[in-house]
Amino acid sequence: MQDLLYFSQQLINGLTIGSTYALIAIGYTMVYGIIGMINFAHGEIYMIGAYTALIAITGLASLGIAWLPLILIVALLCAMLVSSSMGWAVERVAYRPVRGRHRLIPLISAIGMSIFLQNYVHLAQGSRNIGFPALIDGGFNFGSGDGFQMSLSYMQITIFITTLICMTALSLFISRSRTGRACRAVSQDLGMASLLGIDTNRIISATFVIGAALAAVAGLLLGMYYGSVDPLFGFIAGLKAFTAAVLGGIGSIPGAMLGGLILGVAESMTSGYLSGEYKDVISFSLLILILLFKPTGLLGKPEVEKI
Amino acid sequence: MRTSVKKLVTAVSTSVALMGAGHAAAEIQIGIAGPMTGPVAQYGDMQFSGARMAIEQINANGGVMGEELVAVEYDDVCDPKQAVTVANSLVNDGVRFVIGHLCSSSTQPASDIYEDEGILMVTPASTSPEITERGYELVFRTIGLDSMQGPVAANYIAAQNPERVAIVHDKQQYGEGIATAVRDTLKDAGVEIAMFEGITAGDKDFSSLVTKLKQADVDYVYYGGYHPELGLILRQADSAGLDARFMGPEGVGNKDINTIAGEAAEGLLVTLPPAFDQKAENQALVKAFEDKGEDPSGPFVLTSYTAVQLVAEGIEAADSTDPFDVAAALREGTFQTPIGTVEYDKAGDMKSFEFVVYEWHSDGSKTPVN
Amino acid sequence: MAANNFRHALFCAFITLIISYPIIGFNLEAQGINVTLTGADASTIVMVLLAALIVFLFQMFREQIMGGLKSIPHPLPQSNKEPMAENRRAKIESWVLTGIVIFALFWPFLVSRGSVDLATLVLIYIMLALGLNVVVGLAGLLDLGYVAFYAVGAYTFALLSQYTGISFWLALPIGALLAALFGLVLGFPVLRLRGDYLAIVTLGFGEIIRILLNNWTTLTGGPNGIGGIPDPTLFGMEFGRRVKEEGNTSFHETFGIAYSGEHKVIFLYLIALVLAVFTALVIRRFMRMPVGRAWEALREDEIAARSLGLSRTAVKLSAFTIGAFFAGFAGTVFASKQGFISPESFVFLESAIILAIVVLGGMGSQIGVVLAAIAVTILPELAREFSEYRMLIFGAAMVLMMVWRPQGLMPMRRIHIELKRQE
Repeated sequence: MQDLLYFSQQLINGLTIGSTYALIAIGYTMVYGIIGMINFAHGEIYMIGAYTALIAITGLASLGIAWLPLILIVALLCAMLVSSSMGWAVERVAYRPVRGRHRLIPLISAIGMSIFLQNYVHLAQGSRNIGFPALIDGGFNFGSGDGFQMSLSYMQITIFITTLICMTALSLFISRSRTGRACRAVSQDLGMASLLGIDTNRIISATFVIGAALAAVAGLLLGMYYGSVDPLFGFIAGLKAFTAAVLGGIGSIPGAMLGGLILGVAESMTSGYLSGEYKDVISFSLLILILLFKPTGLLGKPEVEKI
Repeated sequence: MRTSVKKLVTAVSTSVALMGAGHAAAEIQIGIAGPMTGPVAQYGDMQFSGARMAIEQINANGGVMGEELVAVEYDDVCDPKQAVTVANSLVNDGVRFVIGHLCSSSTQPASDIYEDEGILMVTPASTSPEITERGYELVFRTIGLDSMQGPVAANYIAAQNPERVAIVHDKQQYGEGIATAVRDTLKDAGVEIAMFEGITAGDKDFSSLVTKLKQADVDYVYYGGYHPELGLILRQADSAGLDARFMGPEGVGNKDINTIAGEAAEGLLVTLPPAFDQKAENQALVKAFEDKGEDPSGPFVLTSYTAVQLVAEGIEAADSTDPFDVAAALREGTFQTPIGTVEYDKAGDMKSFEFVVYEWHSDGSKTPVN
Repeated sequence: MAANNFRHALFCAFITLIISYPIIGFNLEAQGINVTLTGADASTIVMVLLAALIVFLFQMFREQIMGGLKSIPHPLPQSNKEPMAENRRAKIESWVLTGIVIFALFWPFLVSRGSVDLATLVLIYIMLALGLNVVVGLAGLLDLGYVAFYAVGAYTFALLSQYTGISFWLALPIGALLAALFGLVLGFPVLRLRGDYLAIVTLGFGEIIRILLNNWTTLTGGPNGIGGIPDPTLFGMEFGRRVKEEGNTSFHETFGIAYSGEHKVIFLYLIALVLAVFTALVIRRFMRMPVGRAWEALREDEIAARSLGLSRTAVKLSAFTIGAFFAGFAGTVFASKQGFISPESFVFLESAIILAIVVLGGMGSQIGVVLAAIAVTILPELAREFSEYRMLIFGAAMVLMMVWRPQGLMPMRRIHIELKRQE
């Protein structure tokens, strides 16, 4: 019983972090699906979202506003606004001018953008870790009083529910709305879509904006869940999220969800049953193995080389 | 094209060298090497402000052997590669006494060069035992070792008769060094160690670790590392309902931990050097810092001050500015300094350096517990 | 049209405000135990507004500005000139290069120790960048974990010297070969992957190596690193003040000259110089060989190259292994120069810096890479206050280079051979 509770606790931990990986991974997978490039700077956009949310929360607190729903909504909106503007601007400045060139060129441009944004925040806000207030406290406890107690916090529940809502809304948007249909068309054949009168530039911009907005949601949630932000944490999270996207099959939205959850659980089981030191080794090895045996990921479509 | 770049390099390096050599002869140059920029610059500031204050005050009192001390400052960004470059330019500039470096991983490669070139080094902050283990003649420090601090913490924990203790560290030189010292002392004391595990510095998610600690049912958790990670561990442990007492070294004793951990920081145990700025005999010095608008309470401010003072007193005692003579004088003498009475052993470590256990509070204050 | 333009310009200026004002205009500060928000000072806010204004004006008059830029004559007019006769040009070039190398040989005796030491660091970066240039510039494989091979070289020497007391000269080929072996072993499975997957896998590999070095405390000393790595010796003569190893003599005693630490620094510099020249020459040779042509062919058009019978795996693998080999070379020199190494010298940032050097120098171009290595290493030393902004500028420069001059500052010139005309 004890062992089962321990296992479930590690499972919950893994699923929580996995679902936030999934939220960030959406940004990678959508961009890759449409223009076939890795948006290396996406992790930084998530980090900027977290910073903006913290700035908004601190600002509201200093104005004396303490009503929780209002704080959360304002922080969320601010983070989404700044992050999606950032996503839009990054695409305009660094990616659009190099679109269609040799594969390496947009990738190097993206790495440059990632380094730039990291240092932009570093210079503006300093390199210190800044505490993020825990706005949602408390939770449920399971298990007997004297043994191991499993806990499920309200924050974890919030993360699950928000992820679920975002994923459902995104899937509906992609499958039902006009823009979503255009997105799918562009991802299948960019040239053809533009011949059919779809404004491909606008669709690509929209992809970046949507991905960035979801990253901002993840930024706010994770900031509250973990408890601090610093300019470097976007890079690592971005790397993990990208791994998740590749794991699930890049270009596929359910794949990103699946990949995120698998990666999160794998990490938490590694630190739970082996040692936390090897957490990153396991996740990168997992990535290498998946790519070797299933180069298109778990749910990805096999790619055909066109001549 | 290539030639002109090399010329540029030559010109620049010559002018840098000239700047260093431009001082008049009747001066003693004191190099201060530490991070002015980069992620640990906030600790570097402590080092520079302490050393500068000492140089100012010594000069105001007539200098050393009638000569003025001149500070020459170098930025190593706490990067081992840049530390070697800094050490070489110090040699270049003819500096013979160095206060520094800050990070152990910078001090170690730089001290190889200093020892070879006959430069006396006093580090006010590097705590790695390896630095003084190599039998060097010209290496000193004004701070305790990881291997001194660990046992203090371990003895305190052992005295509380805990059932099980977990030791966690951040896989860095400082954190792992102290954690190992704590583990060894606890083992000797017969305390059961349930866990000895590393985490990744810079990580944010410690929920799995906290769950593991809960499962292991420990009374005490010793963390070797710095405040950003421990702050998060404290907070996540608190919200997961882990009931254990945490303890850490001076690297976690920073008010920033309160901004991260909030209420969860209450009751954290920290081993720190005694608060030198609280000592009655140092109040005049503390006031001098405050008049300049600087904060003397940082852990490395007064150790840096002392480092400069020791170099000055060593020169006077040896009646020579030859670093080897000064080193011999430092090993023989007994010195009264703001950090207490200093005597050196053969390796260049202080014969005694005290650490005190403090209890940290959620408002950022601390009270001694023993 | 004008109204449309105005709307767009206004929108862009507005976005600039949104992305810069919250982050720059407010500072999160830890005051005691609380985090507080303070507004930035007026000058910062003026800067933000100014930036928005510039974006607005640029977008408003975009066409005029771009038109104006185009009408400026090309900065490198000679590129339009008729190229010199190939063999004459090659002759001049080889004379110039020889002259530079001879100058570089004597240069350290004229300048100070600090600049010689810095120059050694530059040479190590040149070796690294030349090696990465083979992988990224010539073969078109984006390797983001290049620093792993550098670490393998450095740790090989450090460990061998610690456990077996091996000398620098023996460790140099061993370190390089071991790094090449790592390249081969990693490359074999992953080179089937497409470009961008390869980038992420190599990045992961670099991290794995670093974490393993950090965690395997019993072998590598973990975060404590390895110290006491010996300096290179000259025919059994040591350069230290005292002889460290049995059987060796010291350099200054053998020649009966006073001890000077400069000898060691200059000796290291000369070793690095010789190795860097060796690296450049070997890679130059490779570029003229069929395998070098094959790298470029595969980079330009994989499908066409394969249909001409080139083995994709073998060609890519050769580039990967050769790149790794020279990283191992550089790593050994680095370990010897430092005397102490720890995993923190081999982080991803180091890979990014080497990549930035290759990109700024012009992918594929050797001279360009050498110049970029000099610039990237020396600029932060020249202006310390600039070093805070170093990475910001690197990042921006990488983006700008890709947008405006993806071929780099000194683009690669194809080596070509003309057949003699038969009369």
